[in-house]
Amino acid sequence: MSELLTVEKNKLKLGFVALLDCAPLVVAREKGFFEKYNLNVVLCKEASWASIRDKVSFGLYDGAHMLAPMPLAATLGLNGNKTAMLTALSLSQNGTAITLSKEFHTLLSKTIDNWEDDKLVGEQFKKQVKSSSVKPVMATVYPYSNHYYQLRYWLEQHGIDAEHDVQLIAVPPTQMIPSLSNGAIDGYCVGEPWNSLALIQKIGGLLTTGHKIWGAHTEKVLGVTQEWAAAYPNTHQALVKALYEACQWVEDINNKEELYQLLALPPYLDQAATKLSDYTPPLAMEQHFAGATVNIPDPKQGIFILEQMKQCGQLSNQEADFSEISHSVYRHDLFQHWIS
Amino acid sequence: MNRLNVLLIDDEPERVQALKEALHSLGHYVVCQLPNTTHLNKRVEDTHPDIVIIDMDSPNRDTLESMSTMSKNNPRPIIFFAEQQNDRKTMCDAINAGVSAYIADGLQPERVKAIMDTAIAHFDAHSSLRAELEKAKTQLADRKVIEKAKGMLMKHQGCDEKQAFETLRKLAMDRGQKLPDVAQSVIDVLELTNGLRK
Repeated sequence: MSELLTVEKNKLKLGFVALLDCAPLVVAREKGFFEKYNLNVVLCKEASWASIRDKVSFGLYDGAHMLAPMPLAATLGLNGNKTAMLTALSLSQNGTAITLSKEFHTLLSKTIDNWEDDKLVGEQFKKQVKSSSVKPVMATVYPYSNHYYQLRYWLEQHGIDAEHDVQLIAVPPTQMIPSLSNGAIDGYCVGEPWNSLALIQKIGGLLTTGHKIWGAHTEKVLGVTQEWAAAYPNTHQALVKALYEACQWVEDINNKEELYQLLALPPYLDQAATKLSDYTPPLAMEQHFAGATVNIPDPKQGIFILEQMKQCGQLSNQEADFSEISHSVYRHDLFQHWIS
Repeated sequence: MNRLNVLLIDDEPERVQALKEALHSLGHYVVCQLPNTTHLNKRVEDTHPDIVIIDMDSPNRDTLESMSTMSKNNPRPIIFFAEQQNDRKTMCDAINAGVSAYIADGLQPERVKAIMDTAIAHFDAHSSLRAELEKAKTQLADRKVIEKAKGMLMKHQGCDEKQAFETLRKLAMDRGQKLPDVAQSVIDVLELTNGLRK
């Protein structure tokens, strides 16, 4: 075992959003991984990604569970004040999907016999959209997210115009399932558990998954400001090590039952989490928390995300060096230095 | 005319009322105040607010931020307050008070600043009021817990009130816990043992 780091600061506050992939933070706290590194961490639940960004930017939190594009967006100053951020640890890979309302899914099922066949699914979706007099309403949560990019990517890949053929709107995660069941929206692209829960409640059907759209990709990261990382290097290292160990614990299939019990505790998700423990969706989400390429921040992933931002018109006036930005935000060097 | 349309999104009725009156007296018009709603997208399109003031803890913040990037056809894009202001102090005050704002692109910064200062003051006042109320409630609850634990100890140990209180105090000191917490665990333990006896 390595010697204990002398941390500059041992009382920390980390923000998180109540999604399945906040699991490493919950486990690090409840299973004593933070304690092992002499860190006393308070986990603060936030209702929006906007608040996560603001509270980290302005130093109310030391760091947070962030969407993979968030530290890049903050560094570029997109939609908010410009704060240089970085990540030295990816918390999770994949875990998003597109769910359609029961009616829409049933309609498409008449002409789709194999939902694994993405070409067929795309063709039939397009046919339905083009022949319908009303545009389907598709929802996402936040504009600087894989969910939003994946939804647009999938639509455009199949020749469906995201601006004209469908109507894209934003809805908070907790409102997704009610909105789908009352017909306010026809589908959504979000992270787990919101796809599985709609499937379990039989109010929706799976169109495709983020993994099928992009292949393996970083979904959530540990985000901190560059200023914080410079001021507290040992604390940052201890935090990354504790969370990395928690990620390995989460990925271990033997811990699955205990994991869902921890997530169901009142400050984190709620009893809904326990419904997921023995559910297998019809298309694999491939959500992973550990594995050869899962936890190391990959600047190539960062560049790919920046390209998606550009594709969606979020970088219109920016002449940016994608490689340089991505290398300053996705710090694979710190990870390699700290995790051996 | 200096009148601005303000859309207020907050589900604390007293705070909504107080802030609404304050903005009225500044000469502005509060378009509508609505608790969290699934139809926010449409409400913003219909009401064309110059400024949206929203509780920091509302999940609808992400929805508002999405609107400006997702619908390019939006006639009056709204942007996050921080984008225009470059005013770290006001942003910090706003975050600490728990209020956030989105404004119509192109609105003069100084007009927004006055509204924000008013909102921050009202959110601050409301949270200190709430903190006091919470404190009073907790104190009352604490007293009740301690009284109950004392009563149970007196019955269980056959001691007087003073001795029961001393026992609780000693337990609290030994464990380094607060008196109400110790009282609660005494109640839990005694209730359990009584239950087992029956």
